[in-house]
Amino acid sequence: MNTDLVLQLTLQGFLMGGVYGLIALGLSLIFGVMRIINFAHGEMMVFAMFLTITFLLSLGLDPYLSLPITAAIMFGIGYGVQRIFVNRILDMPEAMQVLVLVGMGIIFENCTLMIWGGSDISPKTSLALSSFRLGALTVDVPRLIAFVLAILITLMVILFLKKTSIGKTIRAAADNRFGALIVGAHIHRVYGFCFGIGAACVGAAGTLLVPLMPAKATMGAPYTLISFVIVILGGMGSLFGALVGGLIIGVAESVGTVFLPSSMKQVVSFSIMIIILLFRPQGLFGGKG
Amino acid sequence: MEKKKMEGTGISRRNFIKTSAAVCAVTTITGFPAILRGATPKEIIIGSIQPLTGPIPEIGIGMQRTNKMAVDDINARGGIKSMGGAKIKLLLADHEAKEEVARSAAERLIKAGAVCLVGPFLSGPAMAIATLAEQRNVPFVIDVAAMDAITAKGYKNVFRCFPKTELFMQSIGGFLDQIIKEKKVNIKRIVVSNVGDAFGRSQGAAFIKFVKDKKWPFEIVEHVEYPLGVKDLSAEVAKIKAAKPDVLFPVTRTGDAKLMIRELYKQRVELMGIISPGSPGWYEPDNIRDLDKLAYYVLDNVPWVNPKSPIFKDVNGRYEKMYPGQYLDTNSGWGYVGVQVIADALERAKSTDPDALREALRKTNFKDHPMVGGPVIFDDKGDNINATTALIQVLPDPQMADRVKVVLPNEFAQAPYVFPWKQLWER
Repeated sequence: MNTDLVLQLTLQGFLMGGVYGLIALGLSLIFGVMRIINFAHGEMMVFAMFLTITFLLSLGLDPYLSLPITAAIMFGIGYGVQRIFVNRILDMPEAMQVLVLVGMGIIFENCTLMIWGGSDISPKTSLALSSFRLGALTVDVPRLIAFVLAILITLMVILFLKKTSIGKTIRAAADNRFGALIVGAHIHRVYGFCFGIGAACVGAAGTLLVPLMPAKATMGAPYTLISFVIVILGGMGSLFGALVGGLIIGVAESVGTVFLPSSMKQVVSFSIMIIILLFRPQGLFGGKG
Repeated sequence: MEKKKMEGTGISRRNFIKTSAAVCAVTTITGFPAILRGATPKEIIIGSIQPLTGPIPEIGIGMQRTNKMAVDDINARGGIKSMGGAKIKLLLADHEAKEEVARSAAERLIKAGAVCLVGPFLSGPAMAIATLAEQRNVPFVIDVAAMDAITAKGYKNVFRCFPKTELFMQSIGGFLDQIIKEKKVNIKRIVVSNVGDAFGRSQGAAFIKFVKDKKWPFEIVEHVEYPLGVKDLSAEVAKIKAAKPDVLFPVTRTGDAKLMIRELYKQRVELMGIISPGSPGWYEPDNIRDLDKLAYYVLDNVPWVNPKSPIFKDVNGRYEKMYPGQYLDTNSGWGYVGVQVIADALERAKSTDPDALREALRKTNFKDHPMVGGPVIFDDKGDNINATTALIQVLPDPQMADRVKVVLPNEFAQAPYVFPWKQLWER
């Protein structure tokens, strides 16, 4: 076997895994606190990608500069969606929650289609084509930046939840909703805030992907699925688990192409998910988040 | 004396007779004989099914535009003259690049009265529509879809204007021989890559078989396949790089071609060039625009427009005006031809009866089209025997719309080809 190739694939997968982790972080946070699965997650990410592209094309703002703006807009959208729609379905049977959120996904996707059309869009960004050599390996610069920023954002979110007052309230609400209500937490606002953070995370991930791949309105669903796999792998509701799960899936998918045809690389991630569900259904870090 | 009224109606007998006579006269003069003959409808419905959403909407939208443009041209010329100038009405449908959607969309169009179907850019959906067309006895003219298996079953209602995979291979064989001989290049190792949909697999496999059968002096050192709509090709390109090929032969769609070139650049993969055995992804306006210099020197073996044909100049001129930044290419070009072939058959069939239309299609000899190759003539399987390809290359030109040039065969060539290319990062 070609060692250089395996090392190269491991590196690429590892860097991509950081972004996967950030995408899954939002999903895990929302699930951990509200016990609902955001099936519109991938579509929200694509929406954020197109926002970033719009800033780039109309204002000339590089994705790395427009990241806070996109994340803030996505926070607002997430907050609004939670307060208007998700709040009403929190106590409903799971099947009904799924329908509402899948519906949200369809609405997001079609809004993106209506606003930006159905084609692949990949405008030039300043660093999109940069790479450097590290021995026999090639390091893709936008991928490296995406990885570093994704890890930073993940750590910031974890710190935010651990250290700040609202973060502690979110954790309290996740731990015991009734208890948090009794001590006077404004639970719906907290939930809104939490959904907003989840949306901002996935929005930031979307922005980081713009220099890496063409955006397309209909590309969201596989990302919802992959982040779902990552969350199951890392442990439902565990933020650290989402990060580690993202890295594992990133590397597994990438290195899997050595042994399997690329068109079957998703077999690797789903096999991992099945194995985890069989032997450790709570996930790698389940119950600790 | 008061006139006698018909009992209970308030209408006099004389008035009744007068009105009835007038109605009879009017129907006799106008439509009634036509209804008896049943052959001159005022409007003939054709159904166009293309991928307007899903992973490759830009090509489908372009093709539906030229389907529509051809209909408008025919109607502007006076419709189908042998049927009293009946106008063609095009019903549009989207197959979303999915076989099952293609079948239900075709079913809907047939129920809405379509006498013939045209489309559908992708081989998988083409297969699904072909089966349905055969069941419902509705002629189906394929404008673009190359997989051999579509016509191999010998369906009597299926006709294909576009070359089948086998023809692609014959022509790429000739072009490759010419390049190797003229440029005296020593190609030893090649990599074949293809997208994992029906067309990609069929085209990729056919090329690999062709290379092995032809006993060329080069070896296929790697074969990479990836799914349609892929968003990251870094691992695949790392595999290509590790195989150290001289030439890459990719079968792509639009988005993956962009991804591939950018990854080849970032990973500094040294090649003599990229020669596609025949696929989209390299010549579309948005690829030329987004990739800019990175798109240069890619060679693609496609059933291209004939740049020297006056019909091409006329149609392309109007198309460019209607859709700024776009130009007639393989797919939109054949989209135009598909509808023209149906109109030509309707003209000769003098009827929308499926059997008559099918027989007329079988006798097609349609010369006035803007593509390379001779007149459209269908063989007993429904394949166009004169369909062929040209080798095109993206060459530097200040005008984006003029960057795609036919370079082989010499009779259609607009510019000499460049091979080996300048490495991507040296441009």
